[in-house]
Amino acid sequence: MSRGLDDFFAMSGYAFYVWWSFGVGFGIVILNVLLARAALRRAERDARRRLEMNP
Amino acid sequence: MAWAWFHRFASPPWIYGFAQRWAPWFGGSAALLMLVALFGGLWLAPPDYQQKDAFRIVYIHAPSATFSLAVYTAMAIAAAVGLIWRMKVAHAVAAACAPIGAWLTVATLVTGSLWGKPMWGTYWAWDPRLTSELILLFLYFAYMALRAAIEDPAKADKASAVLAVVGVVNVPIIRYSVTWWNSLHQKATTKLLGDPDMDGSMVWPLLLMLLAFALYIAAVLLVRLRAELLRRERNASWIREVLG
Repeated sequence: MSRGLDDFFAMSGYAFYVWWSFGVGFGIVILNVLLARAALRRAERDARRRLEMNP
Repeated sequence: MAWAWFHRFASPPWIYGFAQRWAPWFGGSAALLMLVALFGGLWLAPPDYQQKDAFRIVYIHAPSATFSLAVYTAMAIAAAVGLIWRMKVAHAVAAACAPIGAWLTVATLVTGSLWGKPMWGTYWAWDPRLTSELILLFLYFAYMALRAAIEDPAKADKASAVLAVVGVVNVPIIRYSVTWWNSLHQKATTKLLGDPDMDGSMVWPLLLMLLAFALYIAAVLLVRLRAELLRRERNASWIREVLG
């Protein structure tokens, strides 16, 4: 708990592996949200278009 | 009473409304818990006596891996319910699960190989645990490809559901691969019943991250489910009401 910021970023020499893991892992967490939202927007747009064509 | 619930879940407009109401709450609480768990795992937890700070990869690797399996299991159960009771909403749930689970499997494989390199000396080995997890990714791909290849939605539902149910045999193989065979991969650190093999100061961020992932997946699943329902129920009158 008493370690400094330099130690924190260095991750006892494993910085490359630790930070890439968290970068990719949480990158995918965010990507999943963005893709789901995009799918919903697309489905809403298509549904609206169908409603306009068949009022 | 139980059947009343079951029938309510089978109603697309009810499920759509439920998803619309609850997804922001699940997503918001997941984000909050993830931040606390990250702070606990990256800053507060002490380094491991052998792996030093590399052990912290567990806080992203284990939740991804756990839910890559849990989402597949949920997908197979939903597909089976869809097959047995011909419930369209269940097929929509299964279809919504697939991309989420596939991405979690990618996260598991990438974070796992980034952990494997410093600990085992290699990014990849054809080890039972690693190979069966890779097969899980191919099962997700096969499920999505099969759905995309069949134009008739009812036929796509049925064929992909059979594939999802048959593929579920891989789930216990992944789960118990480290027990059944000699594996480079370590055994499970936390157990459903019984004490974890980790100190309390290290285990609480992991348990919190698992809870955060459960809420996060629920939120993403509900958003994808809404998209699925809009696509499937294209001629239903309730769509006019919810989009109005």
